[in-house]
Amino acid sequence: MSYDSSPSPVAPTSTSRLWTVGISIAIAVGVLLGLAFVHPQIAGWLVGGAVVVAGSAWLLNAQSPAPAPTPTPEGAPADGPTDPVTADLLDRVFESLDDPVLIVSGGEPDDIAGRRIVMANKAARDLLRIHRQGALLVQVIREPGVLEAVDEALFGDVSRTTDYTTGGQRDRRWRAWTRPLSTEAGEGRDPLALVVLRDETAARRTEMMRVDFLANASHELRTPLASLSGFIETLKGHARDDAAARDRFLDIMSAQADRMGRLVADLLSLSRIELNEHIPPSGRVDLDRAAADVVDAVSILTQAKQIVVALDRGETRASINGDRDEILQVVQNLLDNAVKYSPAGGTVEISVRSDLSFDEAWSSRMPGATRLPLVTPDRAAGVLYAAVTVRDHGPGMAREHLPRLTERFYRVEGQKSGERQGTGLGLAIVKHIVNRHEGGLVVESAPGLGAAFTAWFPMVVERRDVRAAS
Amino acid sequence: MNQHTVKAYGDELNQITAEIARMGGLAEAQVADAIDSVARRDIALARAVVERDLKLDALHRDIEKKAIRLIALRQPVASDLRRTLGAMKIATDLERTGDLAKNIAKRALILAEGEPMQPLTRSIERMGRLVSTRLRDVLDAYTASELDRAVAVWQTDDEVDEHYNALFRELLTYMMGDPRTIGACTHLLFMAKNLERIGDHATNIAETVHYEITGEDIVGERPRAQPTAEDSDPTPNLSTH
Repeated sequence: MSYDSSPSPVAPTSTSRLWTVGISIAIAVGVLLGLAFVHPQIAGWLVGGAVVVAGSAWLLNAQSPAPAPTPTPEGAPADGPTDPVTADLLDRVFESLDDPVLIVSGGEPDDIAGRRIVMANKAARDLLRIHRQGALLVQVIREPGVLEAVDEALFGDVSRTTDYTTGGQRDRRWRAWTRPLSTEAGEGRDPLALVVLRDETAARRTEMMRVDFLANASHELRTPLASLSGFIETLKGHARDDAAARDRFLDIMSAQADRMGRLVADLLSLSRIELNEHIPPSGRVDLDRAAADVVDAVSILTQAKQIVVALDRGETRASINGDRDEILQVVQNLLDNAVKYSPAGGTVEISVRSDLSFDEAWSSRMPGATRLPLVTPDRAAGVLYAAVTVRDHGPGMAREHLPRLTERFYRVEGQKSGERQGTGLGLAIVKHIVNRHEGGLVVESAPGLGAAFTAWFPMVVERRDVRAAS
Repeated sequence: MNQHTVKAYGDELNQITAEIARMGGLAEAQVADAIDSVARRDIALARAVVERDLKLDALHRDIEKKAIRLIALRQPVASDLRRTLGAMKIATDLERTGDLAKNIAKRALILAEGEPMQPLTRSIERMGRLVSTRLRDVLDAYTASELDRAVAVWQTDDEVDEHYNALFRELLTYMMGDPRTIGACTHLLFMAKNLERIGDHATNIAETVHYEITGEDIVGERPRAQPTAEDSDPTPNLSTH
């Protein structure tokens, strides 16, 4: 707020100060002239003094600045309009603010179409997809709480903060600050209000995560822990001297301990990924290379089960924006599942395709099977996708199981996943990674036909490619 | 309202569109809050949802009045007429959506009296989130006049049905396992049904948006999967695991 526009009850404005000075000088001159009239003997001196005072007053007046500047609207600096450099700088500061900032004009109080966006910075334009100036506020923010707060700021001069959540696959938590921007020009002008949005998702997420993690972890760890303590009790008791039983029990116990270890590792990586879910990944990964690496890595497992993994890397490089470790984990988890559910001696096909449109990316790979998107990203124009599909020829799943596959610890009943029992978190992890990368995940399956999982990610934009190469 | 100022015709149309967007925002919030009140067993929130439904009804009446006034006084034609009629249709869909959300909130109040049913309310929450997303997408499509988005919503209707079927089976298993849960499970079942119908209203709105923009009905095959759970007898499938 600039100082000129904040009238203080104590300090008079500069104009009235000028008047005070003028009046006191006039009185001084008058007194001197009066004295000269009463005491004619020193009249020469007194008149000289009066001339000096009047002269200096005239000089002062001439030097003092022209009438005080007219009050400027709040928020704009007093010298804004006169100093193009500062105005330009302020413009750029406004544009580059990280939080979305909007200035809304009022119109008539009872006409919702009167709330229009006068100004919006880049963050706001990107977030709310505002294409032109003067767009209706209600077209970009529908949240009733925020609309009410804006109305209160415009017509009631009330500042408020409002929390709200935008739904969807990745729900975000926002906090909206609304402030009145009263204009000095007063009557006849539209009231203005300032709206600042801030993303509070991360803070809220951390809090939720802790609660969820504790609940999940304690529940899932209870089963192996119970069996461990059961065996320990047996070993301490009547199985103490039975060497054969002891060996068998120790084997089971070590398997259970392994499972607990895997579970803890998976839970930790899941919560880490979930915390980062709203931070876009930086870095570049070649999906085809990642797939080849994972195929190499699981070769020991597949050889043991005599499963053939057929990799089709596609013709072109499939470069995507992503975190390499996470993309590897996606492919790894999908391939792990496929191997797990394949019969011994079966085949698993993994293929990578690139330069797909949105609709091509999630199109069907397995005719005759039920297809269900588990993660669908927001549609963005002009984005090409690269997809990796992992297909097995295992028992497949009935359609009622498909919507729940990415749920934590969900298991399709009646299916054996082999000796290496899973943690029930694999697909949940895949889902969160895909979500973070703004990609999609589709499952296709039918009982007896096996299953195909396709994860697809937005590809690196070519323009950036050229710049990186030059 | 300043009756003496003659508003431009375009302004009046814009106002109706803006009112629809506001009403949509309110309906969205109602659905989201209703689901939240189920998931968190939040009685105060559920009561607030029930109360706020009046506001939605008032908005509905207001929009209808404005649309009728516009038709009577301005005789809109072509796309303007479609916009006006579309607004009336969408307002009706949104009002129904609000009623269904209110019903969910009322049931949440009853559920809160009993024991928590964590896994089941989670399923409701998941389905609710999906339905909310569809509602959001279709309203985004409406406010931005984006045809693709509206068609995308229209085409993915079967996702909600899948969720509904899965939930139906889940609830049935619960009720068979423990008859004491039948009361609560029935409420949850109605909630799921309400959510499914909210999804249908979103599909309706998508159709209206398509008509409003192009003047034609959506043609083409909607991926309609197998019949929903209540049409077929689902019990035989339960014994397969």
